[in-house]
Amino acid sequence: MEAKPEEKAEFEEAEIEYVSYGGEHHLPLIMNLVDQELSEPYSIFTYRYFVYLWPQLSFLAFHKGKCVGTVVCKMGEHRNTFRGYIAMLVVIKPYRGRGIATELVTRSIRMMMESGCEEVTLEAEVTNKGALALYGRLGFIRAKRLFHYYLNGVDAFRLKLLFPPPRQVL
Amino acid sequence: MADKPVYEEASIDGQPPKLASIPASDTTVWADASPLLQAACAGLRDGELIHGDNFNLFAAMSALEIMDPKMDSGIVCTYYSIDEAIENGAAPIPISLDSTIDVRCTIDIMDHLLACEAAWHKGHSLAQTVFSCIYLLRLDRTAPHALLHSYCRIIRATCKAVVSVVSDARTHEEEDLFTMTYGLPLNGDGDDKCLSILNAVEETISRQLRACKATSSKRRLPEDLEPLQSNSNLEEGFCKALLCRLRFRKHFFHVLSCMKRPQGRGLESARKHIASCLTELESILESADFLRSCFDESCEGDIDDKTTASGFEPIGFDAMLNSRLSAPTPPRAIKILSWKKAVEYFVKLLHDLDVICSYSLDPHLESLLRFVVQFQKSQPDLVARSHLQLLLVQDGKLYGRDPFFAVINKAAALPEATKNHDIQKNESFLQLGMLVMNLLKILCTNAAWQRRKLGKFLQDWRVIYVQLELAFRNEYGEVSSSSNDENTCMKIFQHILLWVEEQTYWIAFRFLILGFELELYSTGEYCMVYWYLYAVLIKLTEKTHLMMAVSHDTAKRKGKKKKDSSKDLARESRIPPAVLFLQCYICLAEGLTMMLAALRNEIPVFHSPSPFNTEHEKFVQHFELLQRACIPDHVSYPSYKESTTHARFSTLAMYNYFKDAQRIAKEVKSSFSNDPESRLGGRWGRNVPFGWIHFSSYLK
Repeated sequence: MEAKPEEKAEFEEAEIEYVSYGGEHHLPLIMNLVDQELSEPYSIFTYRYFVYLWPQLSFLAFHKGKCVGTVVCKMGEHRNTFRGYIAMLVVIKPYRGRGIATELVTRSIRMMMESGCEEVTLEAEVTNKGALALYGRLGFIRAKRLFHYYLNGVDAFRLKLLFPPPRQVL
Repeated sequence: MADKPVYEEASIDGQPPKLASIPASDTTVWADASPLLQAACAGLRDGELIHGDNFNLFAAMSALEIMDPKMDSGIVCTYYSIDEAIENGAAPIPISLDSTIDVRCTIDIMDHLLACEAAWHKGHSLAQTVFSCIYLLRLDRTAPHALLHSYCRIIRATCKAVVSVVSDARTHEEEDLFTMTYGLPLNGDGDDKCLSILNAVEETISRQLRACKATSSKRRLPEDLEPLQSNSNLEEGFCKALLCRLRFRKHFFHVLSCMKRPQGRGLESARKHIASCLTELESILESADFLRSCFDESCEGDIDDKTTASGFEPIGFDAMLNSRLSAPTPPRAIKILSWKKAVEYFVKLLHDLDVICSYSLDPHLESLLRFVVQFQKSQPDLVARSHLQLLLVQDGKLYGRDPFFAVINKAAALPEATKNHDIQKNESFLQLGMLVMNLLKILCTNAAWQRRKLGKFLQDWRVIYVQLELAFRNEYGEVSSSSNDENTCMKIFQHILLWVEEQTYWIAFRFLILGFELELYSTGEYCMVYWYLYAVLIKLTEKTHLMMAVSHDTAKRKGKKKKDSSKDLARESRIPPAVLFLQCYICLAEGLTMMLAALRNEIPVFHSPSPFNTEHEKFVQHFELLQRACIPDHVSYPSYKESTTHARFSTLAMYNYFKDAQRIAKEVKSSFSNDPESRLGGRWGRNVPFGWIHFSSYLK
């Protein structure tokens, strides 16, 4: 088996359509993307948990009708803070490096902020330079290091974004 | 309630018994729900779920028992149970009727078990690693095979000993999986005799080795001794390969037993066994060439990935048999370490254990802290760290020997006489002793967990300080007493209060520095981190300097009768090297802060605001635990901004932060060589904070 050279898709950033999770018809698209790209195996119930309870926090990116990226999130009360959580973020390889992931995450975080979240959190492998750079640019810090978090022995960072306190009306 | 239903007898053709009609009551009516259920079945597509009040989507995520063959038909497992595996010949005894192959296979099993053991130590479950060995799961049936039996016994006893050490050390969170044995057969009757059983086997093979050497020199050999295996050309090689493996296990077991002895009494013996282990591991590595070449068939695949020296797959292992015993979450395939990597792991483990065994059990807390910090730099694994922790804290005493109040007494430069003072029964002093004990335990954990714990710990140290200070003020207020004992108590309080402050700032310093080691700071955050380090170092230096002055007083009082006052005077006027060292750090921290601030202020590309928050939020998050404990006081984001907003390259040039650091470092170095008695080492030694290593070029 020979490794294929990375084929990058040709497109203008403006051609990417971002859509909020719209229902059952989006679910297989999300599942296929995540199954393809991420190592964690999820049952359909995992997806349903997120998209049924927080449909407004999941977004899909389309290019000419093809789903090329997705973000899946949740939010809720956690130890006296109202906190958002980014569960899955995927962009297929030919479309990476063009800001699609950043746009997907940004939309979700904005929604979390508007919904009253005080902070947003997620875990990322310490070796995932791309993710760390992406979230770093958005204002996340590495709050904790989790030793041997993943099965392959790799550590994880818990990334956290703290929103500024809501502006007080004078 | 309605009458009990009456069952008709089962009909002859085997139909299930039918329920007789249950009469309806006043408030109930019967309706046939079959069509409804039928429609519902058709209405549900694959993956859909009925929403119930007590069964929500969150529960649904964990409802499936993945890996249970009954519910998950996607499981690929060869055998459903250990017994089935054995019945189907997965773990034959003997392994082969050909004695040569039997011996080679036994060695393969030994090697694979070593690889499994290393994988377990590295963080995988016991069930999926060492206890994937069917022979180990049913150890009694190996009795006819002396070699395999003795080896399995010592493996089992070793695992049990290691689990015991790690459990006693009570490690945390991510490492808790290690001690979960989930009903695995770790306790064997007669395992306490495993060494003598192993010795017997070793003795036999030694004689076989001697015999085959005697044959080659054509001397008479004992008639009653059977050779190890049937191929005389391979006899010597196999005997040697086996002997080093058996001896390694024997010595390793001894290492564990010796290190377990209280108060470090077995450390010296342990070192001897460690040396033997390392020798045997070398022989084990050397045996690989022989084992690979003794058969005509070569093995497929990259030899470096293999879990055996010979390169052959071991017989008698099945990781799936324990699929329900390995962990709370559904187990996934794990990769056992290669045999080479396993040997490397044990070499490192032994070296780490040797460092622990070489430690002099210094009663000075500062030296101990320095030792632990230095030890952790080599990133020792769980087993080594657990051993260190158990050496340091036993029976609520340091090294199982020194009560913690006595340790604190010494660290706070109090006279030896006060270590037995009744004041130690005071609640606050008891708690302080606990804090010191917990600090030592925390410092032995993995860096990631350690940092989180140290951060939270700061609050405890702050609280104890406040408590002690309150107790002090309540007892003594402003009154200077003339009573001897009251004077002593006052002195104890004063010294210890100062020492607690120094210790608190040291913990804060460690917390910040660990952030560099764990790569928790992105480069954009370095400026604020160095600034905060600078603030902490200022306080730490202040307290250390005070502590040294007070310690000098005590020493002076102790050595009142000694002459040599000129030397004393000189020593008094000089800044102690330990303090100079800290001042050097201060210069570095300040210099780095200003340099990074200037970069940010003058070069736009280094200042990139994020869309959702500002530097203020990052500051709050990084230093939350320190701020909450008021370490230091009056330090905040506005004060950070004030210090750094005006930093420019032009103003930087006016200061000599780095030159000053260099000058002080030289002074420290010379004073250390001139005055070995000085308290230089303390807890600093040669510890250069990780994040500043890149910086050393400025000092050259």
